[in-house]
Amino acid sequence: MYTFLKKIVIYGLASFIVLNLIAFCSLYFLGKSCFYKQQFVKNGVKETTFDYVVLGSSTGLTTLNTKLIDSITQKKGLNISIDDSGLSSHYLMLQHFYSAGKSTKKLILAVVPDDLGNAEPMINTNDYRFIPHIWNNDEVTNYFNQMNGKNTLLYKVSPYFPLIPVSYYNTELFYPGLLSILKPGNRYLFDDKGNFSYPNTSANKEIDNLIHRTKKVEFKNPYLTKIIDFCTENKIELLIYQSPIYKTSLVFPESIIVINHSDLINDKVYFYDQIHVNSKGRTICTLKFCESVFN
Amino acid sequence: MLFNSIEFFVFLPLVFLLYWMLQKQKLSLQNGLLLVASYYFYACWDWRFLFLLMFSTGLDYLAGLMMQQTKNESNRKFWFWFTISVNIGFLGVFKYYNFFVDSFAELLSGLGFQVHFWTLNVILPVGISFYTFHGLSYVIDIYKRRIEPEHNFIEYALFVSYFPLLVAGPIERATHLLPQIKRKRSFDYQKSIQGVKQIIWGLFKKVVIADNCAFFVNQIFDNSASHSAPELWLGSVLFAFQIYGDFSGYSDIALGTSKLFGIDLLRNFNFPYFSKDIADFWRRWHISLSTWFRDYLYIPLGGSRGSKWQSVRNTFIIFLVSGFWHGANWTFIIWGLIHALLFLPLLLSNSNRSSLNNSNYSLSDLPKVLATFIFVCLAWVFFRADSLTESWHFISGMVDFRDVSLGFFYKNSKYILISFICFISILWLVITEWRNVLKNNYEIQLSKYNLFVLLLMIFFMGSFKNQMSFIYFQF
Repeated sequence: MYTFLKKIVIYGLASFIVLNLIAFCSLYFLGKSCFYKQQFVKNGVKETTFDYVVLGSSTGLTTLNTKLIDSITQKKGLNISIDDSGLSSHYLMLQHFYSAGKSTKKLILAVVPDDLGNAEPMINTNDYRFIPHIWNNDEVTNYFNQMNGKNTLLYKVSPYFPLIPVSYYNTELFYPGLLSILKPGNRYLFDDKGNFSYPNTSANKEIDNLIHRTKKVEFKNPYLTKIIDFCTENKIELLIYQSPIYKTSLVFPESIIVINHSDLINDKVYFYDQIHVNSKGRTICTLKFCESVFN
Repeated sequence: MLFNSIEFFVFLPLVFLLYWMLQKQKLSLQNGLLLVASYYFYACWDWRFLFLLMFSTGLDYLAGLMMQQTKNESNRKFWFWFTISVNIGFLGVFKYYNFFVDSFAELLSGLGFQVHFWTLNVILPVGISFYTFHGLSYVIDIYKRRIEPEHNFIEYALFVSYFPLLVAGPIERATHLLPQIKRKRSFDYQKSIQGVKQIIWGLFKKVVIADNCAFFVNQIFDNSASHSAPELWLGSVLFAFQIYGDFSGYSDIALGTSKLFGIDLLRNFNFPYFSKDIADFWRRWHISLSTWFRDYLYIPLGGSRGSKWQSVRNTFIIFLVSGFWHGANWTFIIWGLIHALLFLPLLLSNSNRSSLNNSNYSLSDLPKVLATFIFVCLAWVFFRADSLTESWHFISGMVDFRDVSLGFFYKNSKYILISFICFISILWLVITEWRNVLKNNYEIQLSKYNLFVLLLMIFFMGSFKNQMSFIYFQF
């Protein structure tokens, strides 16, 4: 019995150490790459100062084309939005952007109404993309320690046992880590200005039956205050932007200025789905945005 | 509590350590601990059904004693049929009632009568088909005077509820498991090491093969109309590996776990996809169920002793019942029927035992192995599909070669990656099993190098994020 336990402990521990080392290496190489937006901001962006950055979730990523904005306005911008994320991740991304030595004059915060009204934000689906920076960015560690939600333990133990998050998110962390050894400049679904667009397919039939509605938005998310405070502290001009939602008009509180384009377009051909515009819709939104903000 | 969950990997070492700490104490303490652990394991699913399990255990135990004690043959018969009826009644209520009611209503509707029967809105108690069959075999064996009833309730309850086999088998026999439960067990180093290896092998099959294949299988079967014929073929092949990885993976973990407690369970799989014909497949697939049906249904019906017609009838009965055991759906019945039809030529030509004494392989066996695998894959379509209509659409799509693309498997980087993982892991499984088949190994033999590669694959190829429940839990 003793021999068995000894063998299990020795082999188990040795395997655990080796597997953790492999996991650590994959995170190390991923952290040195440009694969996700978090790594791209740190390693793939040469400029340090920007006239504006767009920060948000998938709506921020796919609605405002920073290349088009730059070509029209002669400004220097970057899209640092992360799909499947919320205001808490945006706040962390903003901190991460600044800790990577970058700064901006304007922050275009692309919001989602439900997220604004969420008083108790949880960890977001794609927050694992911050894990490669857990050893060199205290804000990431603090964020993981503070957040609640599904699998938070996995994030909390990641500095000590990288195997746990890497094996759980193996297709999202381990293989991109391996790829990064060979191609450190590879980017995952965004261009050199951080943009992504949905194809020009029209939204499917599911949204045909929607009827027009007006919805009141509430500001309950504590991370909005944190972002406002961060912007004040770093002298950043904050603009909140609401992208179009098919057959929806949003009404925002008057306490904060919002560029509300929720009902800017109502033709289905410009939508990929109810809340995302397609490539054609993106151009319309970007032009209108330039007109509203830079004129 | 899933075998591939963190909870289980806390539960197992705790029970293991406590169990062997009691080695020098009375055997009843070890058995008592295993019984409490087993009930806790079961209660983690749904504690309410624990009472059903206890009731079923108590009834079978009591019936066993009553059948022994009574001198009156009609009393023996009463207790036998009463217990059988109650056990099958539970299965009927929880598993088959809605199916019969719905089928009857559909039949009447086809005849022009619109009727609405009362249906049950109840979840199927996990493992009911397995522990009911444990109890049934025990009662039948006592009635047939093959065994003496067990007097120690703790030991009998452990035979029914032993946690490694409680929710998805193997379906044990009193003659095999009870003597082991009653025997003083001392720690066996080699057995425990083999147990750990088998657990790792089972985890690999479940977490890497089954759960990754499920990613494609679920999408293909949920929307077969939008897939090309080669995609549907690959979908059925992937399901073959999914269900094998899932169920044999579970069995491996169960057998390995049990070895840690010094108890050997019945082998449930013997490299089934290397079968040379359907008869051979059924000697290698879910062995504990097929031998159960052989011993408690096929042989009592006359087996192959009577005329050819009787053998054919018995074969069809056994396959149909076997299909129906899996679930209350016509798809399972048709699955059983297809296997019976595939078995029929072998039975009629008296070649259903031809591969029994020939465990060696030559190159000429390759077409037989491949043909058997293809037939098995086709039958799996019925097993996996939600309805007969869907099965039919799926099969029709498999022969419609107007579209021959395989684009689904590489439509984006995630799909390419999971295709790669499926391919590599299945290849690894086939090569490892083939080596063991050639060596006529009873159990999978894994070197230290193999184990390390398996650990690498489990951690870096395993599908933890999209973890699936074990398929056979629903049966």
